[in-house]
Amino acid sequence: MEIFVLAFFALGYLVLAGADIGVGMLLPYLGRTPGERRETIAAIAPFFLGNEVWLVVTAGVLAGLFPALEAELLHENYPLVVVLLLAWVVRDMGLWLRGRVPGRVWQAAWDGAIVAGSWGLALCWGALLSVVALGIQGPLLVLPALALTALFGTHGLAFAALRLRGVLRERAALLSGGAGELRTFALTAATLATVGALTGVRLEPVAGTSGALLVPVSLVMIPLLVAAQAWVWWTFRHRVTGPSYL
Amino acid sequence: MDTVELARLQFALTAGAHFLFVALTLGLATLVAVIQTRATLGGSPVHQGMTRFWGQLYIINYAMGIVTGLVMEFQLGLSWSGLTEFAGNAFGSALALETMIAFFVEATFLGLWIFGWNKLNRWAHLALIWVVTLTAYASAFWIMISNGFLQNPVGYRLDGGVLHLADFGAMIANPAALVAFGHVLSGAMVAGGFFMAGVSAYHLSRRTAEQDFFRKSLRLGLGLATPALMVTATFGGLGFETMQVTKLAAWSGDLAEAQAAMVAQHGPGDWLPPVSWVQWGGNGMMALFALMLLVAAPSALLMLFRPAVRGLRVWHWLLVAMIPVPFVTTLAGWIFREMGRQPWAVYGLLTTSEAMSPVSAGQMRFSVIAFTSVFAVLIVINYWLLARAAKAGPGAVALGDRPIETPAPVLTF
Repeated sequence: MEIFVLAFFALGYLVLAGADIGVGMLLPYLGRTPGERRETIAAIAPFFLGNEVWLVVTAGVLAGLFPALEAELLHENYPLVVVLLLAWVVRDMGLWLRGRVPGRVWQAAWDGAIVAGSWGLALCWGALLSVVALGIQGPLLVLPALALTALFGTHGLAFAALRLRGVLRERAALLSGGAGELRTFALTAATLATVGALTGVRLEPVAGTSGALLVPVSLVMIPLLVAAQAWVWWTFRHRVTGPSYL
Repeated sequence: MDTVELARLQFALTAGAHFLFVALTLGLATLVAVIQTRATLGGSPVHQGMTRFWGQLYIINYAMGIVTGLVMEFQLGLSWSGLTEFAGNAFGSALALETMIAFFVEATFLGLWIFGWNKLNRWAHLALIWVVTLTAYASAFWIMISNGFLQNPVGYRLDGGVLHLADFGAMIANPAALVAFGHVLSGAMVAGGFFMAGVSAYHLSRRTAEQDFFRKSLRLGLGLATPALMVTATFGGLGFETMQVTKLAAWSGDLAEAQAAMVAQHGPGDWLPPVSWVQWGGNGMMALFALMLLVAAPSALLMLFRPAVRGLRVWHWLLVAMIPVPFVTTLAGWIFREMGRQPWAVYGLLTTSEAMSPVSAGQMRFSVIAFTSVFAVLIVINYWLLARAAKAGPGAVALGDRPIETPAPVLTF
């Protein structure tokens, strides 16, 4: 049972945050002017905070239910996890700070932080998933890592196509071809979830001894947490019609 | 410095930075929730403006709290895998509960509160800030349960060389956790209250046109900070009842007996915390408490006289100067608590050097330098932004400015 709790939050993170990471990666492609960039950010603005907490809970579930695995996973990939965290911090700060001061230089700098941080996150996740799933180290790691980074980007485009309008929506639909926007998004989401699940299988996690407490709590909490997030999704279900707070 | 000391420095700097922002988050969330309640019930434009202005400062501060917090969470597995492997089955539960019961809801609803401004029903919007505030308290509660376990481990069973959770009730009834939770939470109210009073005093000293706005804010800030100071001190006093003998010994300077008792229990070794850190931390915290009380008590009287609130500039400047004091006090308190736990990671069960991950000195140096430099830059920028937004006043607030996702009016010629 423990493994389903872990999988639920980890896969939830990959699918949900994967979309806003992908949009961040392709910010310069989607938004060519400052106005377009702000509108592109508005596509993910209401969601990114609620998306990244899935990873915070994943780490919490690891600490509580799989303490041995948490220790092994994190310290054995020390430099990779450190860079991943730095990318996460830089990207979040870019999102929060870009609108705080008017001025092109300020906004361009923090937009740069969003793009660099999103690429950093996607590359680190690509590398981390590859290390765990394929057990490879060294230069060869670059290939699966880049493939997964491209998957994050595609997933971001699919999400942006669902959220944006007009020319931005057309740019986002670059890779969808004739397929519908929702079907493209479902496909990229399912691919990311599959990669995550296959990686999880390779981990062979052994649960600790707190399951008797934490599993029932998780089963009660999960519907509530999903309902809270569903309220966010419902509130922002319409396409973006202009800039948001960020 | 050896690798353990680098890892300790890294965690101390991250946790210290995190708590600077968390303390203000807890205090300001409470104040914003109270103000928004008045604004929703009464519909006065002053209260609505106050909600937006203080809410904006709260969000600037919150963002920094998140990024330091998530690095702190991951550091447990990164640099302290000895601790998670040994005690994860026990104190890890509290961390898991924090993320699931508290933080997930807090962050999700905070996003909805920010981006749903003018979009959601006003009662739903009010409910959101209260949920955000209460889950922030819950978050602090579970973190203090984990920290309390490390300070005073209870409710565990030692089996196969690692700890297991034996009695969840005992873990959450741990006096070393509950007293500290009360202390930390009321201390955060002091920080939030002094911040609000100080920023308001700045505007009143500049003869702001928003007299009503900042008079109400100043009174609210001092009205919270003054009683919160007394509550904080009461919990702090109770904290001495639950304190480890070695911490108490280091603080009072009466070391021989505690060392002898520890040697008898754990064998030869130096079982005392670094005395000067503990003494400076403890005494610094108490001296600054006295200073805050000296300012807050007369201020709580002065604020009843409208001419003083409007024109007593010396007092305004004093309140502005007091803004950093609760934060320094808080850090001194944490140094006292955490340095005083040394040399233990889990008191009496696992030493700090045993808690360390088997990572190389080079890796640790890289991460210390990387995290410290990135956070140093971000902290400077965020404090500058906080000061900038505080000085700019209510006229320049972006939060709740117009219905989110509604286009700005287009100029037609």
